[in-house]
Amino acid sequence: MTDTPQENSTGLPTLERFREFNSTFPHAKEVLDFKEQGGKVFGWLCTYVPEEIIHAAGVLPIRITGYREEVELDDGTAYLYVNSCSFSRSCFQLGLRGEYDFLDGVVGGSTCDGARRLFDVWRQYIGTPFHHVLNVPRKYTERAHQLYLDQVMKFKQHLEEFLGSAITDEALRGSIDLYNESRALLRELYELRKLDEPPISGAETLEVLVASFHMPKELFNQWLRSLLDELSESNIRHRSRARLMITGSVMENPEFIRTIEGEGALVVADELCTSTRYWSDPVVLDGSTSPLEAVSRRYLNNFPCARMYPSDERFDRIADLIKEFRVDGVVSEIIRYCVPYAHDLPLLTHRLTGQGIPVLALDVEYGTSGSGQIKTRVQAFLEMLEAKKR
Amino acid sequence: MRTLGIDIGSLTTKAVVLGDEGIVTSVVIMSGDEAEENARLAMEQALGRAGMGQGDELCIVTTGTGGKSVGFSQQQKATTTCLARGARFLLPTTRMVIEMGAETTTVLRLNERGRVSDSAGQDKCAAGTGIFLQQMAKLMQMPLEEMSALSSRAKGRASITNTCAVFAESEVISHVHRDPPTPKEEIIAGIYYSVVSRIMTLCKRVGIEKDVAVVGGVALNTGLVAVLEKELGFEVLVPDAPQIVSALGAAILARESIEKALSR
Amino acid sequence: MTSGKPSGSGLKTIIRASRLITRMNQARPEASPSEGMYYTLLADYYSRLLNAPETGDFIAAHTVFFPAEIMYAMDILPMHTETTTWMIALFSGEAAEILSAGAELGLASEICTPHRGLAGAFVVGTLPRPDVMLWSNLVCDNTAKSGELLMEINQCPGFFIDHPFHDSEEEMVYLVKELEDMVRFLEEHSGRKMDWDRLGEVVAETDKQMQLYREINELRKAVPTPFHSQGFLQLLSVDYLFAGRPEATAYLETLRQELADAVEEGRGAVANERFRLMSLFVPPMYLMGFLERISQEYGAVSVTEPFFTYWGEGRLDPAKPLESVARKAYMLPEVQMYGPLDERQLSRVAKLAQDYKVDGAIYYADVGCRHTCAAIKIFKDVLNEVDVPVLTLDCDVVDPTITSEEEVREKLEGFFELLEDR
Repeated sequence: MTDTPQENSTGLPTLERFREFNSTFPHAKEVLDFKEQGGKVFGWLCTYVPEEIIHAAGVLPIRITGYREEVELDDGTAYLYVNSCSFSRSCFQLGLRGEYDFLDGVVGGSTCDGARRLFDVWRQYIGTPFHHVLNVPRKYTERAHQLYLDQVMKFKQHLEEFLGSAITDEALRGSIDLYNESRALLRELYELRKLDEPPISGAETLEVLVASFHMPKELFNQWLRSLLDELSESNIRHRSRARLMITGSVMENPEFIRTIEGEGALVVADELCTSTRYWSDPVVLDGSTSPLEAVSRRYLNNFPCARMYPSDERFDRIADLIKEFRVDGVVSEIIRYCVPYAHDLPLLTHRLTGQGIPVLALDVEYGTSGSGQIKTRVQAFLEMLEAKKR
Repeated sequence: MRTLGIDIGSLTTKAVVLGDEGIVTSVVIMSGDEAEENARLAMEQALGRAGMGQGDELCIVTTGTGGKSVGFSQQQKATTTCLARGARFLLPTTRMVIEMGAETTTVLRLNERGRVSDSAGQDKCAAGTGIFLQQMAKLMQMPLEEMSALSSRAKGRASITNTCAVFAESEVISHVHRDPPTPKEEIIAGIYYSVVSRIMTLCKRVGIEKDVAVVGGVALNTGLVAVLEKELGFEVLVPDAPQIVSALGAAILARESIEKALSR
Repeated sequence: MTSGKPSGSGLKTIIRASRLITRMNQARPEASPSEGMYYTLLADYYSRLLNAPETGDFIAAHTVFFPAEIMYAMDILPMHTETTTWMIALFSGEAAEILSAGAELGLASEICTPHRGLAGAFVVGTLPRPDVMLWSNLVCDNTAKSGELLMEINQCPGFFIDHPFHDSEEEMVYLVKELEDMVRFLEEHSGRKMDWDRLGEVVAETDKQMQLYREINELRKAVPTPFHSQGFLQLLSVDYLFAGRPEATAYLETLRQELADAVEEGRGAVANERFRLMSLFVPPMYLMGFLERISQEYGAVSVTEPFFTYWGEGRLDPAKPLESVARKAYMLPEVQMYGPLDERQLSRVAKLAQDYKVDGAIYYADVGCRHTCAAIKIFKDVLNEVDVPVLTLDCDVVDPTITSEEEVREKLEGFFELLEDR
């Protein structure tokens, strides 16, 4: 059981600010103000799109995500069919219903089937002025890096043509520094979760993450610094029956984690497109390569999505997370109908259980906050973990 | 000239006798296991009511599942074609037909001449069909009519989020047994919204165009139709006897085939 | 998770069925010679695979749309995993066993039946154990992610070809380098060296075959169309399994001549051609015979299949064999729907509908093939714009429990009536 005060008041004013910001999705005031002042906003999908390039061009990059709750996806399903992943349908529906009309451009990668088709259908039926898809290799070889660099350069060129202005190295360096700062701050936040009794819960961490890719990074860094200050002063200590890690594809609804933590667990680590995989690696500017190359290298090498080969790269890093955060059990959340993560699951489970880490596999709709069924299964999982400890 | 149309469904079998003056009579009987038997029974009842003898020469068209195994019909026509004909006959401005049956849901788009130009159907999944609604009524422990009447009183709507009928069931059960229990009308509203969303997906696949006719047994559920109208943003047309539309269409097609033969 | 005693029982089923059909065809005077050649090709291919343990042949299992030319040039026996699984399901009717074996491995229903099935087929020994496992990301995530598990099941080494998304020059170069790496991998594991001259010959043969495919497709434009409705499934199997093999060229030449003769004599594949259809994606394998019967009954014939029989432009240069193999990968019909689905792809499909005088299109919505289904609306709208109605048929390419003959018949009848009514 945790020591936190009631849900509505965390004793962390900046967390409340993040929460309020999130409630305005997808039309955050800060984003709309930026547009009002003549700025352009681009939506990007998935962690293989180099945000720094967009930022260095003076454009505000925000992430394309779907509804923050489980909704009826009649439009998404009509256009992408019933068996497409619920994330792509959710994103498309928002777009089709005009909620993303403020975007001047959309950028994606050839990362997975859902993303590929989302962009095909988006181009045909929504038609944002700037549309670009990068080819993202599935390997980490030197050659793959060269190809990805080539793709990033082509993207930069396309962007420069569209805007009618060049993206300077200086601007790029500035953006890299800014984004690296975000990553460093997020790392600080995550470090706190390594403690025996962290001052911040998994759900709250996700709330911060969700805000991070929907607001200008300058503002985000400012707020996160405040939050870190507040956390260092805070008396909150989360105790729990078990330290869990959530792993899976894309998740943006903190309620889901809250549901799990509500059973007495604490999610101390998370391996999601919308969490660790987003910020984990910094861009390394050591003078040996151009800033563009450094960005390109970082993005391909970043904490792997299940699409990458070999899978062991991802599994190894998951194992590291488990060790670092002293995780007792893993909850896998795979959204319908996500193929890459579903494929990885048998091998990952085999590996984790072989190392004595139990895995609870949940199959959910994107945006879910966790139904009664999930609670029951989490309860059983926690009981099993506790029995194991005894 | 009179013709007979028979629609053999999984739950009910319908027969319509069509004359020069319009519908002479129509019957709805429960379906047994044998398609031919169902058709025969329905025919006998319909002819009886129409005051026609078994020996009278009659052009018969059958449709529906198992319609092909009826030996005594002149022709077997697809349900979609029959629905289009029947709906246009009763409601001449129809451009879309939504058929909500026991096990399937079908949406048709019609062109200016009332011919089917596109269709989308859902027959793999129980959710969103008549049988699903019957199941839900059982869970709510009330007859379908009461459920329908109650739905209009809902101020809010329970979230029934599961796409799968099997899981939706358990969600409903948990709402019923909650402490305090979710108000019945809100659960019903949630169920109806869930069903209507499936229909909306089918509609959007073919493109929405007025006027929309809603037919099939489930069209009698006024509460559900009200939710559908809300989602569409306009009123729909429901004929008086929505279950017989397909059988009527079959009878119309029978007449058309005679007219075609005569004109040669 | 290792494979059981590999009996290759599934292969025997295919061989038996192929030989039986060949005998039956020989007894029918109206059976075309090309049909016989096709089944002989199948029987020979699978016999070789079945006898590999005795002959010492090196088996390289591979996924779909894979450059088998490279293996032929190295005298390595390629085993096409998806097609073999389809055929086993088709000829043995025992899809259930291999599908449930796949499910037991923990493979979720997200994984399409061809892939769940082939993993299961390896586990129960229906497919023989390969010496190496080769795969690529063509044409979807299922394929891209299948290799590692298959390596694990078969306890064999593997190689993954990372096929780039666009067809730019840089990406083409990348693909060529991937192929070079694969050749090195195969040399290392098989002990066989790549004979580059031989590869040139194989490529020349493939180039000949591509031209023949194009000529056959041209002939199918005729009204009435000369090629029977489900014949295209043979065309695609020939490309999948026998690319670069002279026997396959002989089949295509024979078929081409048969069709040319039929066109000259005004002979259609069906007695009374009423509906010319475009097939989008692939119909369930187990319904092949049924659909052929429907075709005869209703005079409905599939005249064009944009994702399966239409070849992109270009020729192959035997002097640059590896580059040609890479280029061919971009010309494959299916790869063109990998993406992006831009104006080029969409207008191509619309043009095919017009060139082939298509009355209606059938979209086989395979429940496991997500990226194909996700394109339904976009293609349907494009085809509707050129006045071609589209019927969406929910089905599964391998699993016969998803839909039944009655259901398919009902839907097709409705569609044909729609076409009649216009």
